[in-house]
Amino acid sequence: MALIRSVIRNLTAGLRGLFRRREADEELDSELRQYLDAAVTEKIKAGMRREDALRAARIEMGSAEAVKEDVRAVGWETVVETFWQDIRFAVRTLRKNPGLTAIVITTLALGIGANTAIFSVVNTVLLRPMPYKQADRLVTVWGANKARGYDLDLVSYSDYLDWKSQNRVFESMGAATDEMYTLTGAGEPVAVIGYAFSPDFFDVLGVPPVLGRTFGRDEDQPGKDHVVVLNYHLWRVQFGGDRSIVGRNVTLDGKAYTVIGVMPQSFQYPQSVELWTPLAIVPDYAKDRGIRWLRVLARFKPGVTIDQAHSEMKTIAARLGSAYPKTNKDYDVNLVSLRELTSGDVRPALLVLLCSVGLVLLIACANVANLLLSRAVTRKREIAIRVALGASRLRMLRQFLTESVLLGIVGGAFGLVIAYWGVGALVAMFPTTISNLSIPRVETIPIDRWVLGFALLASVVTGIAFGLVPALQACRVSPNESLKESGRSGTAGSHGRRLRNILVVSEVALSLVLLTAASLMIKSFVRLVQADLGFHTDHLLTLRVLLPEYKYGTDTEQLAFSNEVLGRIQSSPGVKSAGTVTFLPLSGWWGTREISIAGRPADPAAKNPRPVWSSVSPDYFRATNIALLKGRYFTDQDNKSTRNAAILSASLARELWPNEDPIGKEVNVQGFNGTRQVVGVVGDISQLGIGVHQSGINSEPTSEVYIPFAQEPTHLLCFAIRTAGDPLSVANAVRREVWAVDKEQAMSFIETMDQLASETTALQRASMILLAVFAGLALVLASIGIYGVVSYSASQRTHEIGIRIALGAGSRDVLHLVIGEGLLLTVAGVAIGIAGAFGLTRFLASLLYGVSSADPATFVTVPMVLTAVAVAACYIPARRAMRLDPMVALRYE
Amino acid sequence: MADKSTTLVQGTLDMLILKTLALEPLHGYGIAQRIEQISRGVFQVNPGSLFPAFRRLERSGLIDTQWRATENNRRAKYYVLTDQGRKRLNSETKEWGRQIAAIARILEARS
Repeated sequence: MALIRSVIRNLTAGLRGLFRRREADEELDSELRQYLDAAVTEKIKAGMRREDALRAARIEMGSAEAVKEDVRAVGWETVVETFWQDIRFAVRTLRKNPGLTAIVITTLALGIGANTAIFSVVNTVLLRPMPYKQADRLVTVWGANKARGYDLDLVSYSDYLDWKSQNRVFESMGAATDEMYTLTGAGEPVAVIGYAFSPDFFDVLGVPPVLGRTFGRDEDQPGKDHVVVLNYHLWRVQFGGDRSIVGRNVTLDGKAYTVIGVMPQSFQYPQSVELWTPLAIVPDYAKDRGIRWLRVLARFKPGVTIDQAHSEMKTIAARLGSAYPKTNKDYDVNLVSLRELTSGDVRPALLVLLCSVGLVLLIACANVANLLLSRAVTRKREIAIRVALGASRLRMLRQFLTESVLLGIVGGAFGLVIAYWGVGALVAMFPTTISNLSIPRVETIPIDRWVLGFALLASVVTGIAFGLVPALQACRVSPNESLKESGRSGTAGSHGRRLRNILVVSEVALSLVLLTAASLMIKSFVRLVQADLGFHTDHLLTLRVLLPEYKYGTDTEQLAFSNEVLGRIQSSPGVKSAGTVTFLPLSGWWGTREISIAGRPADPAAKNPRPVWSSVSPDYFRATNIALLKGRYFTDQDNKSTRNAAILSASLARELWPNEDPIGKEVNVQGFNGTRQVVGVVGDISQLGIGVHQSGINSEPTSEVYIPFAQEPTHLLCFAIRTAGDPLSVANAVRREVWAVDKEQAMSFIETMDQLASETTALQRASMILLAVFAGLALVLASIGIYGVVSYSASQRTHEIGIRIALGAGSRDVLHLVIGEGLLLTVAGVAIGIAGAFGLTRFLASLLYGVSSADPATFVTVPMVLTAVAVAACYIPARRAMRLDPMVALRYE
Repeated sequence: MADKSTTLVQGTLDMLILKTLALEPLHGYGIAQRIEQISRGVFQVNPGSLFPAFRRLERSGLIDTQWRATENNRRAKYYVLTDQGRKRLNSETKEWGRQIAAIARILEARS
């Protein structure tokens, strides 16, 4: 209690001293005067004369001013006052030098702004807690089969039940699978991506709905399972945010589903899912442990670590493996935390970008430090006078640091504006339809208090970083020398020059590292984009259609739809050819089936290949320009009444028959009755895109098996339409044709193959662009740095140059003199930079495609380019030096 | 001045001021005089140390200020010991006593 009182008293007294300075001063004054009076009175009483008494008392008291200073120093308000004084002085000084101030602020704004932008992305994607209850306890559970190379395999229903009942490490577990529905009855028919959750799945995530409720325990039973929970976005867009939606029915695939709840806006599990239905267990799937179709999510019990859980699940998997050797032999369990799953793909790139942008800031600091060092020279006299008048070194240091931190903060404020704009541009580089990246959906990346805090911290630390060295340097000034008329020592001397040179050399080294990294990324990206996908992406319109079960239950119906729509599209103007395929390449959708050579004895341990499969219409290969290597394409003759056919991709054919001609041989494809005859071999394609990896399929090149659509139709149809002109120009016509056949059929993802291709490389493209921008910035800053140092040094040596010219030096000699200095610094920086680049670019290796992180060509050309630019930067000061009139130079002070 | 009298450590001065005010409220010069008197001239404090000490003690809540009339009927700033100050004085005095006794024992110990 007493403590609080004294704190309050201290506070109010201080505030009074701050805001009523004059009154407080006057009071102190009168008290001192009183003291003097009392002392004098005493002395007079003791017998001294008045004047003597006065004099004696004054001597005893000492300097009144000093006493007042000492008294003032006691209160905290003096600290605030001096601080405020420092700031005002700093502002004045900076205003006196507007050019320098502007350059510094711009440099800092760019550096701090870029860092803030990248940090806000890192914050949103990597650091911000996920919107689930205690999300760090959530983990995804996958099957794994090292022998076959699967590390993230889906799970069978019986395995899931056994895992759930036998484990002791998880508090809850749920299973889910993806679904696609056609939503009708609310405007245009729309294909929605749904997810089927086991009844307790929502509880595992622990997020309550904003409206209504989530699934009850028994709602996966047939008869009770026509309920649906809506995603916030779908609710707003499709149903207008109607608050009375709970209890209403919606039509999915022709059946009525009751809406029982709506999830909050931040809930997006998984990405881009629009509604959730209960997981319906198909009895066939339930019985066969070999059919793996579920994704499992689990929540740890409190205190359980991922390693403990892993070993427990391993034991359970081994138990199942020996109990059911036919399906579960060699099957293990893999645990991936939810955070890792959603951001693991982008983390390497983000970290590289964060480090790169940090290097840019370092270079900016070095530049600004150099600028301030040169300015410190012009302030020598001011500093000398202050020191002579009694300013302490500490006070001077504080003053200079206040200036530089002020610069840092102002630069940071402008930097926030740059960051805001930069983040907007960044988000634009990642369209929301990207399929191969599991980045958290970030509509906007907010500039929240963490980002602001980061910007502030960066500004202050930067200010101290670049301000410390010039401040310390300036405080070294000895007043005696500097106050003399011709004092030209101080920072112009050897110590100052060495400091400046070190700064420039480090700038050059850092820029070299950045430029090398950027060049490697650019080279890699070019390789990536030029890589052969196995088909032609230009002039290709694609769209995806899911035929609902209830309307297209039989093969005949599916075939009829496909034939009629294809016929209409093919006769549309502007269309050269059109085909359908089940799993469109680069769509991010794929399915695999086991393939085996017919007639060989069934061997459960045999590693039968698991290629991607698709049912295709005959013209599909022509539309996509997939090359025919052997045999023939499918024709209209390949249908249900003729022999079962199959076309293999080249790598699959080689795998099955390394030394024989596959044409005419028979294969078995899992899930399809009867053997199939291989009628053709086509070129390999990349199903997911170059450089994209997905567990469970070998992506480059992808093994594919094709089956005629007429023999095995599917509900999923992706159209590939080759056009004469711009593919999007026929989009409307195609839509019309589809609706002419079935006006309730939804279509989705109407985009060109070129767009799909560019989406698969979005991450690499963005990284490349950013790194290139940073490297460019670094190059500019380093050039300015070199220009500054060389220019300054040349002007310092004006006297010397004048003498040399007077003694007969030619302009060429002067040129060599000036540029020589710049060249020396550059070469030193480049040498260090190359060493650094060698060591650091290995962290880039996981992002590079087709380029080694020690690519010799890059390591040779980049230093040459940097040196050339640096020499060019020296050119202007050199020219100025060459044109010196020796008479003027000799008189130069 | 400094060579004649013993220079006082900050904490000691604070305590002396508190003690002085324990008897009665005084103004600045009065305190200086009293300290000199009672210490029989050993401690002669100047305003340069006194006034900062006053402010320090005031900010810590150990003393309070009052404007009163002096003997000469002039308005002067008087310092008053607060309850908290009195408590602090008592505890400091006890501590001092302990320390002095300990030092005395050390100094008188047989070598």
